[in-house]
Amino acid sequence: MIDEKILKTAKQTIVEQKKDPAVELVQKALSDGIDGMELLTEGFIPGINEVGDQFGRGTLFLPELVQAADVMKAVTDLINASLPSQDGPQEKGKLVIATVKGDVHDIGKCIVVSLMQANGYTVFDLGRDVDTERIVEVAIKEDVQVIGTSALLTTTMVRQKELEEALKSAGIRDKVRTIVGGAPVTARWAAKIGADAFAEDAQDGIAKVRELLGA
Amino acid sequence: MDQFFHRMGDGSAVQMTAKQIMADLVEGSEDAADRGKIPPLAKEEYDYLLDIFCSPHKFISVEPGREVILTYDAATLKIRRVGVHVDRIQALQIYEKIMGADTMELAHVDYSYKPVKPIATFEQPILEQALLATHIPLFYGAQPNLGLYSQPDGPFPNPSELMPMGKIKEAQESYEAALEDLVKDIVFVGSLMYESGADGINLDTAGAAGDADFLATLIATEKLKAKYPDICIEIGMAGEFVLGMHSQLTYKGERLAGMYAHQQVKMAEAAGATIFGPVSNTNTSKSAAWNLARAITFMKACGEIANIPIHPNMGMGVGGVTVNDQPPVDVVSRSSAAMTTLCRLDGL
Amino acid sequence: MAITHAHASGMGGMRVAGDLVARVQMARGMKLAQAKAYVAEKLAVDVSELTDPIVMTEVRTDLGLGVVTPLPGVPKGIEAKFNIARVLDIDINCVKRFRERTRF
Repeated sequence: MIDEKILKTAKQTIVEQKKDPAVELVQKALSDGIDGMELLTEGFIPGINEVGDQFGRGTLFLPELVQAADVMKAVTDLINASLPSQDGPQEKGKLVIATVKGDVHDIGKCIVVSLMQANGYTVFDLGRDVDTERIVEVAIKEDVQVIGTSALLTTTMVRQKELEEALKSAGIRDKVRTIVGGAPVTARWAAKIGADAFAEDAQDGIAKVRELLGA
Repeated sequence: MDQFFHRMGDGSAVQMTAKQIMADLVEGSEDAADRGKIPPLAKEEYDYLLDIFCSPHKFISVEPGREVILTYDAATLKIRRVGVHVDRIQALQIYEKIMGADTMELAHVDYSYKPVKPIATFEQPILEQALLATHIPLFYGAQPNLGLYSQPDGPFPNPSELMPMGKIKEAQESYEAALEDLVKDIVFVGSLMYESGADGINLDTAGAAGDADFLATLIATEKLKAKYPDICIEIGMAGEFVLGMHSQLTYKGERLAGMYAHQQVKMAEAAGATIFGPVSNTNTSKSAAWNLARAITFMKACGEIANIPIHPNMGMGVGGVTVNDQPPVDVVSRSSAAMTTLCRLDGL
Repeated sequence: MAITHAHASGMGGMRVAGDLVARVQMARGMKLAQAKAYVAEKLAVDVSELTDPIVMTEVRTDLGLGVVTPLPGVPKGIEAKFNIARVLDIDINCVKRFRERTRF
């Protein structure tokens, strides 16, 4: 059991985006024989969860989120490097994220990408107005576990359905999980087209990806 | 226990007990109160909402005398979007004679100030002709839409690409440069349309690209108001709080990022806006009761503090209205009546 | 959806006095109750009558403020707006521009 004070400090370094104190905390903890994985899961990860929650409530903003992600990456890299080779470093999960063909809205997707990165996922951000074929191609090439698509218009939602069909045609539908989001997109739509999950917003997207990957 | 017909935020039908509906009303209102640091609804307000949600009637309305002004935005494109191919002046006449509109808006199909700028002088004669043939107040409107100023749609580096790469300063500088161009475009188009005779200028879905988008809207409002002291400007918001995409921008010394409706309206007032259109987003995974109580809590706080008229947005996916292309009459009428009955508002 | 709002809580546009209350709000920045009271006084009707299409059709016809079903010779469009500006004692931008352009 790690001292509650250390865990609280770890969490705070993420919420307040303090990279040097976070790195020093990890280095000292590791040299004191503290379990790095426990420090990560009980201290730093609650910190990044808090960041996501505050972002969703409008009390913390995108630059802070990006800085928190940077701190999170630094401590995760340090902890991973300290683990015996059979325990890590392990990749948390790989995702392709794109705004669908015909849709040029990329602000919401930018938030999702930032939050996914902050939570330790490897993200292949394909940008906006992305052909369905390109999404499938990158998913295969990078061997991703999750494909996330955003559609901000009722006229472009249909591309999310097209992706489901394209994944089946490519023979990889059972190898990847799909998650859909965007202003007009709903859980009902996700179920109708056969997507694996629907994300109400970026923070919900994290929760759904965790459920899908169990990580 | 009796079950009542209800809907989720995506419009799906569900059955709920009165106890479940009341629990969702309280939870929705408390969520808004917690986020906005504003008071939750009172017991009699919950009771009223429970009554209308348990009513067997398909349609609910306000009591006579409590009706409010109904402002339509972008209707000249909405009518064509559904495949009714009338020209825009005909669309305005349909809305004023048939749809019960109290005000209307002439809008271009590419509903942003930037694309209107090069064709503004082609828009003016249509507006002038429309003003000869219609009776009700006529806005000219479009979205500020700051996103159009970054690559590949505009000259500035795309903050949505820079930010995930950790290039925070570069992203912020890009927003700052882009908003200056946006202000110029809004003032350019707004001036021409006002000089053509528009009754008002509508800046619709302000803040869609975050705090820089909202700041540009406020500065443009200030400039138009200084140029034409009698001009009517309506600012309608894009979302319930201002996204902090830049995060450090201020107006009159106040940080814009994270502002909710009751704080946004003070900025709109300070800029000289005549009417403010606040927003509360619908959560599709929650019930209509949860969403409506939440929306009313936000709008009530805004209405109580506003010194200018407010027209809460009640379109698809906002103001307790479900996220669906065809929002059901039962839920829209309940949202419309409840918002109007419980909030100190001046229009929708 | 628009029709639902119009029926559930809207004033009713030019079937009644919705457009007139909106004009006063836009011209004077008045909150709703104040704008309704102002219009009612100018039209010499009760506030409750502002949303009564029977009363308001008569008033609008008598004052030439524009009606849904136009009869021959009744003011329409900009003509009606000249009357609205005068009756409500407000400036209407396009009426002002019309005067300038026609040197009327």
